[in-house]
Amino acid sequence: MPTADPADAVFAALSDGTRRSLYATLGERGEATATDLARELPVSRQAVQKHLGTLAAAGLVATRRSGREVLYRPTPGPMSEALEWMAEVGAQWDDRLAALERQLARRRSVSA
Amino acid sequence: MDELVERELTVPEGVEEVWRSLTEPDWLGEDAAIELREAGSVQAGDRSGFVEEVDAPRRLVFWWSAPDEEATRVELDLDETDTGTHIRVTESRPLAILDGRDLAIEFGGRSGPEIEFGDSTGPVALAGSLVG
Repeated sequence: MPTADPADAVFAALSDGTRRSLYATLGERGEATATDLARELPVSRQAVQKHLGTLAAAGLVATRRSGREVLYRPTPGPMSEALEWMAEVGAQWDDRLAALERQLARRRSVSA
Repeated sequence: MDELVERELTVPEGVEEVWRSLTEPDWLGEDAAIELREAGSVQAGDRSGFVEEVDAPRRLVFWWSAPDEEATRVELDLDETDTGTHIRVTESRPLAILDGRDLAIEFGGRSGPEIEFGDSTGPVALAGSLVG
């Protein structure tokens, strides 16, 4: 794990859209090489490798060697599970509060 | 890391008006209903739970859960401002620390909330403080 606040590294790593889809793709596949991932995403193998390095530094992916290949896999530790929960619940409240605003606005127009 | 989600919203309505919308909480989910009293039931879509604290028209705390999910705690705080009402929502999952402990939480219907531990060695004292 990085020496700074690990949460900062995780948030920074996932602040990039390409890295998020990379991480999601890795989650679906379970394990993959950078070449596999570059084939599925509109990104060069070199870029994939760089992004994987950032994800690895944040503790979000782990690697192992298999012959002449390096395989990447997501590490669903408590941190990423917590982040997933926070993202999901946060999106739900965004929707609910938008609905609350609409509900209040409807009443405003009725009582006006 | 605290597992906590916080959202804020400011609306032009007064705090009483916003509080009233809590008794008709369509915005909270389909067929949503909250019994605004301590231990009152909370229903919203497939979620159910119970009210922990009511301090009208400023604060509401409840627990809820979807089927097969752990219960989470929701705090709604309303603050009157010069221009309307500031709403702060916080959802947290204090029970996450109990993960892996063969814990079953059930919300009984009219009989009120029940928290059961499948494993008698579980942290009963903690459960007591959560429901007590």
